[in-house]
Amino acid sequence: MSEPHLLELENISKYYGNIIALTGVTTSVNAGEVTCVLGDNGAGKSTFIKIIAGAHQQSEGTLSVEGEEVMFDSPRDALAKGIATVYQDLAVVPLMSVWRNFFLGAEPTKSLGPLRWIDKEKASRIAKEEMAKMGIDIRDTEQPVGTLSGGERQSVAIARAAYFGAKVLILDEPTSALGVKQSGVVLRYIVEARNRGLGVIFITHNPNHAYPVGDRFLILNRGRSMGNFAKDEITRDELIMMMAGGAELEELQKELEMASAGDEGLAHLAEELAEEVHELEERADHH
Amino acid sequence: MTTDEAVPAAEEASAQPPPPVTAPDERLAYRGPIQRLLVRPEIGALIGAAVIWVFFWAVSDVFGTSAGVNNYLDVSATLGIMSVAVALLMIGGEFDLSSGAMTGATGMLVVLLAKDVGEFGGAGLPLTISIPVVLAFAVGVGWVNGTLVERTALPSFIVTLGTFFVLRGAKLGFAKLFTDKVIVEGLDNAPDHAFWENIFGATWIRNDHLWDSFLGGRDVVYGVILVLGVAALFIGLLELTFRRKTTYDTSGLGVFAVGVVAAIAGLIQLTNTDGTGTNWTWSLIMGAGIVVAAYGFARWRYEPRAEDRGTLALDGRIARNAALGVGAVVLGVVFGLAMDSSSRTELGFLLTVQGLRAMLFAGLAVLGVILLMLAARDAAKTSPITSFALTTVTAVVVAAVAFVVQSEAASRKLRAELFAVLLLAALVLFVSALLRLLFTERRAAEPAADGFGRTMAIVGIFLVFVAIAIRLLWATTVENQTVPGVFSYRISVMYFLVFTLVAQWVLVRTKFGSWTFAVGGNKNASRQVGVPAARTKTTLFIVVAVSAWLVGMLIAFRLNSVQANVGDGNEFFYIIAAVVGGNLLTGGYGSAAGAAIGALIMAMSFQGIPFAGWNSDWRFLFVGVILLLAVLVNNYVRRKAESAS
Repeated sequence: MSEPHLLELENISKYYGNIIALTGVTTSVNAGEVTCVLGDNGAGKSTFIKIIAGAHQQSEGTLSVEGEEVMFDSPRDALAKGIATVYQDLAVVPLMSVWRNFFLGAEPTKSLGPLRWIDKEKASRIAKEEMAKMGIDIRDTEQPVGTLSGGERQSVAIARAAYFGAKVLILDEPTSALGVKQSGVVLRYIVEARNRGLGVIFITHNPNHAYPVGDRFLILNRGRSMGNFAKDEITRDELIMMMAGGAELEELQKELEMASAGDEGLAHLAEELAEEVHELEERADHH
Repeated sequence: MTTDEAVPAAEEASAQPPPPVTAPDERLAYRGPIQRLLVRPEIGALIGAAVIWVFFWAVSDVFGTSAGVNNYLDVSATLGIMSVAVALLMIGGEFDLSSGAMTGATGMLVVLLAKDVGEFGGAGLPLTISIPVVLAFAVGVGWVNGTLVERTALPSFIVTLGTFFVLRGAKLGFAKLFTDKVIVEGLDNAPDHAFWENIFGATWIRNDHLWDSFLGGRDVVYGVILVLGVAALFIGLLELTFRRKTTYDTSGLGVFAVGVVAAIAGLIQLTNTDGTGTNWTWSLIMGAGIVVAAYGFARWRYEPRAEDRGTLALDGRIARNAALGVGAVVLGVVFGLAMDSSSRTELGFLLTVQGLRAMLFAGLAVLGVILLMLAARDAAKTSPITSFALTTVTAVVVAAVAFVVQSEAASRKLRAELFAVLLLAALVLFVSALLRLLFTERRAAEPAADGFGRTMAIVGIFLVFVAIAIRLLWATTVENQTVPGVFSYRISVMYFLVFTLVAQWVLVRTKFGSWTFAVGGNKNASRQVGVPAARTKTTLFIVVAVSAWLVGMLIAFRLNSVQANVGDGNEFFYIIAAVVGGNLLTGGYGSAAGAAIGALIMAMSFQGIPFAGWNSDWRFLFVGVILLLAVLVNNYVRRKAESAS
């Protein structure tokens, strides 16, 4: 590929005093691709996001957008370069209507002399159209966002970022608080955003969510990069192994089995998980 | 988008088809117009205001007259301006406990600046200078409150409690320092007092005799506007409820015209001959005309009912509720007939025989009608015809109550107005039941009909409010004779009205309003998408302080003097009024108009108690009960609204 990557990180490191939060991380994001960042708690995912989103600056290494080296001073800087972040729990205002949430901070206005007011019809119409593009039929855009399901709430934030010209979309653990079905819904929207030509950075600790939608995988563990693979370089099982560390996972599996022997709920959860994985695999194979 | 061509080969491995844009989600029920109306935060307060108004109107002779209205409007104005501002701040997620003390502080400051304060050398500034100076002071206090809250991230409750004590101490200290008294006087010493009094202290002396012959007098003017408003509202609700025909049926228009002519003829005859409902022929002609007109209109525009009407079936709970409902009304009527309607004998607890009778009669009648309507609602799920039958029974019961009121009520006003209102309610109940039986209700949004229906409903509500305003503010000759004393409207009422309208518009239609909801609802999320959260909150604190300045000016120009303790403690009344008006204590939800209605409720309760002849020591008990009821109703309405969506 002669064209520069949409977003490229080379040897990014971050130190907080003498604490090494992130060291030597290299990866890239292309338009129309999903780069998954996997890692357990404390692996450095948050630091990674904050650097790309402009909340923190890297201590070493280079960050380039469309081949041009950049250093963000603030989230606003990153936003200006087309990098939008959707945080899991801060995405929307639940008591406000869908259209108000969609246009919050960038409301379209009409004016007459010195008076300026929100062009409600336009805002409502665009919000409806944009949500329809994500495959969600919002019948009444006056509906408070709090009445939508968790997955749909995330998708409001995703659709909003896409509409306001984001080129790179960072999704911070969008599936972690959701049930199985809702996670599936969000994964669909990630694919949808990708199909619309956005570069997506999908942060998760669940390889089963990452594998079906990802084109590239960056695995972090205790602040280090465990590898940066294209999809054809790695299988799901390898991914799971890499992420947790083989021995640890085996131990966990045994523990789970022991626990599930005495706990039907947990066993049911494991089953559901297996089903979900199967379903996602099928969908991926379909094409 | 079709996936087959759109997705390049390289991506095929993991591409999924975009989810189809599905047919409407069957899990979401279509929310009808009434339900959408109930979602509005001010509805609970509006119903509460109506109930309290009717209550005091029934127990007091003065409350419903223009003199009474003038009295509680005056009280509600200064309370209401502040409540609206405090509501905006509350929606933005903050409190301002210094708001009450600020009204007194700004009022006192302008008096101190404007007058000669003797040996200490008062500033003696002209008001043209001192009023803007005090405004700047208010902006400063608001800015300090906002900035402190933002910078320290402490709860605004604590920060503004501090400001409150600072202001309170400063008021008392400076008053004593300059005048040796706890009151500062002499605003009228200022050289340009006359000019500024026109702006902050103007009054209109009432002279209703000039108006009494205008277009046939008050009752005709307000009656016509009321009828037009109700008609527009009704048409709006029909548009929002029923499914339009693809081609309109013009024969319906003919039926409609006949009905309208009959209704108008009936109305004209009734106003010429009789205001108390003894002219049976024309009453019936008018009622029938209204039913026929409504039917004709619906036949012209809406699809006839497609589904089966079902069979008449009264089972368990429905039958029980219906029987209990009819029983309660009958019992109420019995009490109404048996007890002496003119006895003012005290029974203890401030109750007269007359009052107890009114409460038993009204309470049982309302209870009965509610039970009947519950039965009708339950029946709608089993068979439409049963629902129709039960609603018709309800309408008949309401009409019967109207006739009891008409023949038995002690006072004139109950006879004429309540009778008419109750009969109209019965008619509306019957007509709506009939139309719902005969035509198809909508299950989906129709943009054209929704737009037209909403416009008509808004125009209708506006006209109804204009009619009510005319009825309440314009005294008739009879009232002028029975209610002695000259009274005048103050300009503060005007400020109250304008301020409420502007605040409501800003809240729902401007960026700033949207940001206010956002910072109160989820500050982090709003900051994330670029809302200037700190600036929005600081502006809201300044809005509250500037409103306190306005109220301070109104207070100062009323008496030309200000006591040191004026306004202290009122901040809680502002918050109560805002909560009564449907604003959420935790922020992110509410309405400015609601807060204004909340202030009106408080003022009506405060002034209504002495009007009703009760000891005004009971005021606070009443206010407490209202606050609790309002919070319960708000809670119920909101949960109902949210669960329905």
